[in-house]
Amino acid sequence: MSSLPSQPASAIDVSGVYAAYQRQPVLEDIHLSLPSGRWTAIVGPNGAGKSTLFHVLTGSMKPLRGRVTAFGQAIEHHRKAGRIAYMAQREAIEWDFPISVWETVMSARYGHMRQDAWWRRLLPARWHSSRHRDAVEKALNDVDMLAYAERPIGALSGGQKKRVLLARALAQEASILLLDEPLAGVDPPSERLILDVLKREREAGRTIVMVTHDMPGARRYVDHVVLINRFIRGEGAPDEMLSDSKLAELAVSSIANSPADVGRVRLPAFASKE
Amino acid sequence: MLETLDVWSSALVAGLIAALMVPVNLMPDSVSEAFQYAFMQRALLTSMMVGAICGMLSCYVVLKRWSLLGDAISHAVLPGVAVAYLLGLPFFIGAFVTGALTSLGIGAIERHTRIKSDAAMGIMFTGAFALGVVLISKIASSTHLMHILFGNVLGVQQSALLLTLAASLVALLVVWLAYRPLMLYAFDPTQAQALGFNTGVIHYGLILLLTLTIVASLETVGIILVVAMLITPGATAHLLTDRFKTMLFISVGIGVGSAVLGLWLSFAFDVASGGTIVLVATGCFFTALLFSPKHGVLMRLWRHRSLGGAN
Repeated sequence: MSSLPSQPASAIDVSGVYAAYQRQPVLEDIHLSLPSGRWTAIVGPNGAGKSTLFHVLTGSMKPLRGRVTAFGQAIEHHRKAGRIAYMAQREAIEWDFPISVWETVMSARYGHMRQDAWWRRLLPARWHSSRHRDAVEKALNDVDMLAYAERPIGALSGGQKKRVLLARALAQEASILLLDEPLAGVDPPSERLILDVLKREREAGRTIVMVTHDMPGARRYVDHVVLINRFIRGEGAPDEMLSDSKLAELAVSSIANSPADVGRVRLPAFASKE
Repeated sequence: MLETLDVWSSALVAGLIAALMVPVNLMPDSVSEAFQYAFMQRALLTSMMVGAICGMLSCYVVLKRWSLLGDAISHAVLPGVAVAYLLGLPFFIGAFVTGALTSLGIGAIERHTRIKSDAAMGIMFTGAFALGVVLISKIASSTHLMHILFGNVLGVQQSALLLTLAASLVALLVVWLAYRPLMLYAFDPTQAQALGFNTGVIHYGLILLLTLTIVASLETVGIILVVAMLITPGATAHLLTDRFKTMLFISVGIGVGSAVLGLWLSFAFDVASGGTIVLVATGCFFTALLFSPKHGVLMRLWRHRSLGGAN
């Protein structure tokens, strides 16, 4: 990490974002600048608003207030240009859908295909420019799933599905990867493979933002940590942010109404009893 | 102007029928005999087109779990037909308007209240259907109602045939041009949104396409049985393949095949043609359910047994 410049530019800037579900506030006064070319982990308890933050970043949810920019421009602009890849946590995917692993990953290129010549767009994917095929092949190879390219997506195991969805995010060749719990429900070998793939992507200069509950993995791999629980509860280097005291404070913070209250909230009485 | 259009469209239909009769006349006499009548030729052409577009749309209906929505739109078409009749407009305009309004109404109830979508559909389509029944009971005979409900393919007029042709071309063009966004939306709407596709436009576009297909099928199989043609071919194809494009082709094939076979059987046995067409499609479904090499019941039993034997 010492090889990286000490003050990187920011890839995504979030300023003053508020978001709510049915008038229940989920995110309040979020100010963030996620460093470009770095690997950021978003950490927080369940219901802390991590996925909501991603929904705001991908545009599926409009914040009540505040704005989000990427590389200094409105984030929609980058999304339409295919520069932001997103891997959802609970995918609204129909696993019985008649689609192969290859086609699933190829769907990441649909955004880029809008820039192809109009007559190419009327043809099946195999007559498209070879860069789409190359990207798909490379992504599947990276997650070690190329041998499964022709399988129907529904015939894969849980860990394999996750790897294919990661390949889909990679095949988009986006500058920013937003990954909502890419390691949830994955067996240890797949977990290591996914972390190594992401490490290589980071070294290739991509910005990675991931939600995770895997503290050992985060301590070992990421460059930057954001602690969130309705408010931003901390931001900084992994060693400092993922210390036991910080994490305990974060867990308790659900009871507090604002960051200012955190210090004053005591652990519930039953927790301190022997 | 209108006259030349009329001449051209008549010529187009005559040409299509002539082309269709070439393979028909190659069939044994017992089959081709039925299609020597002009009304049977028109019925054949119309029901084949209806089978094709219903088959195509049924893939999206089945994969998006929109079976009940198809049912809802088809019933909601009825008051539109009645109102159009009252105002002296072509029936398909009224049908399209009430079908589209009902689907928008269902979406609005679902989005803005705590009522779930199946209840919203149930309320809206039975309400619209009841309105249609009341209106028609006042203005037309029960034969008329029966024709709308169950189709009257043997009495298809030139205008209805042209409407079906136009609807088929529109549906085919939309599915071809928007193939990728439509497939991605059916497979993973979140991803479609994240890639910057306008999912609202895709959603309502697909609903309008569904409404158009239903309106175009009205005279052939009727509004009750069109639902079968919007579900059965797609469900059958889903049992037979793991590729979306193949599913589209199989589904269209089943739609067209049941239309042709059903029409001929209905002529040979002198029974209702709409019902016979649907029964043939249902037969295809159960055949696939039993004998599909990938997802059939027998294959699954056999695989189960051979696995059990190995243990």
